[in-house]
Amino acid sequence: MAGGTEIEVKGLDFYYAGNVHALKKINLTVLRNSVTALIGPSGCGKTTLLRCFNRMHDLYPKNRYEGEILFQGDNILSAGTDLINLRSRIGMVFQKPTPFPMSIFDNIAYGLKLKGIKKRTDLSERIEKALRHAALWDEVRDKLNASAYDLSGGQQQRLVIARALAVNPEVLLFDEPTSALDPISTAKIEDLFEGLKRDITIIIVTHNMQQAARISDSTGFLMLGELIEFGHTDRIFTAPAEKLTEDYITGRFG
Amino acid sequence: MAIGSGKNPLDLVFSSLTAIASFSVIFFILGILYVLISESLPAIERFGVIKFLTSTDWDPVKESFGALTNIYGTILTTFLSLLIAIPVAVGIAIFVTEIAPDFLKGPIGIAIELLAAIPSIIYGMWGLFTLSPIMSSHIEPLLKRIFGPIPLVGLLFQGTPMGIDILTASVILSIMIIPFTASISRDSFNLTPSVVKESAYAIGATKWEVIKNIVIPYSKLGVFGGIVLSLGRALGETMAIAFVLGNNHRITTSLFDAAATITVTLANEFAEADKDIYLSALFYLAMVLFIMSFVTLALAKYFLLKAERKYSR
Amino acid sequence: MTREQRRKAEGGLALTLSTLAALMGLFWLVFILGDVLLHGVKSLNWSLFMNDPAPPGVEGGGLRNAFVGQLMITLSATLIGVPIGVLGGTFLAEYARGSRIARIISILSDIMVSVPSIVIGTFIYAILVKPAGHFNGWAGAVALSIIMIPVVLRTTEDMLSLVPWTVREAAFALGAPYYKVITQVVYRGAATGILTGILLSIARVSGETAPLLFTSFNNSFFSYNMNQPVASLTVTIFQYAMGPYDNWHEQAWAAAFVITIFILLLTIAGRLIIKWRYR
Repeated sequence: MAGGTEIEVKGLDFYYAGNVHALKKINLTVLRNSVTALIGPSGCGKTTLLRCFNRMHDLYPKNRYEGEILFQGDNILSAGTDLINLRSRIGMVFQKPTPFPMSIFDNIAYGLKLKGIKKRTDLSERIEKALRHAALWDEVRDKLNASAYDLSGGQQQRLVIARALAVNPEVLLFDEPTSALDPISTAKIEDLFEGLKRDITIIIVTHNMQQAARISDSTGFLMLGELIEFGHTDRIFTAPAEKLTEDYITGRFG
Repeated sequence: MAIGSGKNPLDLVFSSLTAIASFSVIFFILGILYVLISESLPAIERFGVIKFLTSTDWDPVKESFGALTNIYGTILTTFLSLLIAIPVAVGIAIFVTEIAPDFLKGPIGIAIELLAAIPSIIYGMWGLFTLSPIMSSHIEPLLKRIFGPIPLVGLLFQGTPMGIDILTASVILSIMIIPFTASISRDSFNLTPSVVKESAYAIGATKWEVIKNIVIPYSKLGVFGGIVLSLGRALGETMAIAFVLGNNHRITTSLFDAAATITVTLANEFAEADKDIYLSALFYLAMVLFIMSFVTLALAKYFLLKAERKYSR
Repeated sequence: MTREQRRKAEGGLALTLSTLAALMGLFWLVFILGDVLLHGVKSLNWSLFMNDPAPPGVEGGGLRNAFVGQLMITLSATLIGVPIGVLGGTFLAEYARGSRIARIISILSDIMVSVPSIVIGTFIYAILVKPAGHFNGWAGAVALSIIMIPVVLRTTEDMLSLVPWTVREAAFALGAPYYKVITQVVYRGAATGILTGILLSIARVSGETAPLLFTSFNNSFFSYNMNQPVASLTVTIFQYAMGPYDNWHEQAWAAAFVITIFILLLTIAGRLIIKWRYR
């Protein structure tokens, strides 16, 4: 099922403003059409790593990368990278649902309009497809013009996923997408992943180890800014090579 | 939350004092309203309400008074000044919240506050001595050349540019309310959660698209409240325009004509009103202004409170 | 042009425009301040502070009467306005905390802050000038204090609300009555904030002109008597700037310079105190 190399991280160091060394010499390979989970105790750098892939850190001054992140062979950390283009190819879903202050329809249409798709019929078609993809269509088909704020938290999160999917990204980054949701909403979103990875590559940060075990193909364990261990999810959870990984997975700290 | 204030006699005294002090605000508002009404009674009896508000007469010699020229001037200068001030103020707010590098944010914020702290009499005097000559010799002739020949629009730019006119007054007024509007807009913009902005960036929006489609819609209620508040302030501004508006009780279409606002009429004529009915008419004007601005300010407060509640959800 | 280039160009244009707007704001500040400083410094001299006005049209003279009058009026306004404002704010944040009436008064005060000051002048004229039969300094002071009270009241309320409730509980636990808790503990915690509010409110009223026009009016002679018309810098600026004589204009610039510097210093001091206290 998993294809060739989608993203390759080579010797990545990351410093927050004020020279805080948040990631240390990270190396890992993300395969196409796979789900990669990043786990670790809070403050370990997993979210920081995730936000390197779409260069979200560039929104704030004085953050600094060293090393390389190759996305389909191109180093996205190079100075000439077009961030607008990069971010439309590598989407992101956040911890809390982030609907825009608009209708459900317009939320999803937003990214499409940025790409120049304006015709109402095209928009409707792609919005329906994205909503079906995110398993939200049946719940909102009759109220597409209602405010996105009227949806429940779980629905909002699936709306945000649909919004990210609508622009046909190649990679989707998830930053603890279910940590603010109830178990039923969480299950609905987890169910999406199997279908999603047929089309895209997924990287997900989660603090929930069962979730990582359930949905991911590869897992990376980070601690204090270092990638302690990276490999097949089955192996990481059954036969970790590192003592630290084993301690974390068995719940000895965290 | 009553905390045993009855038990200790000194506490009773202190709490009563604080209560009286805070009720003074209500007392002032009701007192102002009462006094203004009772002082304007002679004028109300003589000129009525509708007739006073719609009459363009302002003739102390014939003792015939109507408020329309003053109301017209007040609304026109306020409207023009907001027209100039809003885009600039929102631009400043965008610059300060989204564009300026960190080391510039502080100094520009301080500059805006200093601009807001300069008293209106300074604006007024500066307007008279510095801005007015510039307006009459450079800006207004230019506007007249460009817009004068255009039908309809040209009506706004007729007559000899003297620099003592509606346009100059509106420009000064706009400079005065820019810092105020800008700082409220800035505070509203800052309330947009950064994670919502990030998620717009995350689907490939440019900085401007994030501002236009996320930040501004998100904070529009607060910005709108700020604009209405500025409107309320502009309505009651006196000294910034008293120097350069002339005091002309006629309704004119040209921005190059002198005019009168309620405030300027009060400033120029109140201390000199020699007849009771004249003074009463001026009190009547003051009452109209008080009600106009009180209602506007209350509306502004309503929008700002609504915005606050929305964000705190 | 591709679509992406167009989007970026639009963004670039919009961001440039708002940068220009910010520069324009800065431009006005520099222009106005620079103008006031330039003219003011040129016209500044000792006789301005030491002498009273010369008769109209005669060279020389100063504004000693207006400086002293301004100080007397502002000081009296502060002495009336600050205690009422601080006490009123105390009621809202302490005894009436969270109640409906506190909320109403708080909102009304916010509105009062922006009510046209000239209207307050007409109000005071009716209750303090007309009965007395003549303009007087007290009327001006009261008019300014009415402008001051809501400002001080709201700042006090906000600053007291910032003091954590647990601090009060700790003091109650020692058996202190509420008024002692407020005056000895809560005020101390909020002192710098309240002080800043007071400074800013003094800055605000010392530039006020409109409410003085028909209360304290003006006086070309030196006088300590607050029962008579009292000169103030701001009213003098208005009168001199609108007057026909060149030396009046110069003195108006000088007075404008002094009052602007005074207010800006107060404002900056207020900012610095907040920054230093709440960094």
